[in-house]
Amino acid sequence: MAMTQQELVDMLSSLTLFADLTRPQLEQVAHKMTEESFPVGQRILRQGFTGTGFYVILDGEVAVKIDGDERARLAKGDFFGEMSILLGEPPVADIVTLRQLHVLHLGGPELEGFLREHPQVMYRMLKAIAVRLRNASRWRS
Amino acid sequence: MALSTQDKAAALAGVPLFAGISADSMERLAAVTGEQEFAPGQFIVRQGQVGTGLYVILSGSVKVLRGADELTRLGKGEFFGELSVIDQKPRNASIEAAEQTEVVALASWDLLALLESDPKLALNMIKGLVARVRLAVDELSGERLGH
Repeated sequence: MAMTQQELVDMLSSLTLFADLTRPQLEQVAHKMTEESFPVGQRILRQGFTGTGFYVILDGEVAVKIDGDERARLAKGDFFGEMSILLGEPPVADIVTLRQLHVLHLGGPELEGFLREHPQVMYRMLKAIAVRLRNASRWRS
Repeated sequence: MALSTQDKAAALAGVPLFAGISADSMERLAAVTGEQEFAPGQFIVRQGQVGTGLYVILSGSVKVLRGADELTRLGKGEFFGELSVIDQKPRNASIEAAEQTEVVALASWDLLALLESDPKLALNMIKGLVARVRLAVDELSGERLGH
């Protein structure tokens, strides 16, 4: 099910996280990150255990579970794994696949460098995280 | 009253969004902010409008209104619009000057331009936000567990 480089770049261009990148930059991203697939029911990140990377969902769906309770679902264009990498702490949630999952993966130690090279991606990520915080906070935001 | 960049940096330093950023980045941030003054009864932010700025109160005080209800008042050193400056979502409250009020204002487009030229600032801001999301998640879990 691996896509051609061309197909992958087309798909990346449709994701919000990469919306501000030029074609050559998208090609760099496609080159830097690796495609991976996970079957239904697989635990990709484990709450309390060391995280293994940053993931951007290309297709499929996962559940975000905290202490066994489902708190959210993530699908195409959403990302996960960045919190524990940036904080240097174990993941706060389990990530479990609900539908056959197709992702792009970046190793944890590479994330900071990747974001510094692509400030536009960093800004999109900043926005997404601000929305998460807003959803958890009050009028002051 | 003309504020120095240092004065403005000192005002911004109290905003959690900028916790942990370097003095150098803070000075560049302060350099793109402006000062604004509002008369009593003047609206600084209207509910429902897209947020385009972050404001820190230098002097005076403001009312935080939702519809006709006054939720609270904010005074010197306090701020509003913290996350709107990043995500540009509609404001969920109005802010009206309760007296003559002076603020330091940071426009979202100026912040964006700065983030693009200073990835370190952006990275520090992401780390700060992620830590707060984590705290919020922990608090939710704690409440649910009855802690």
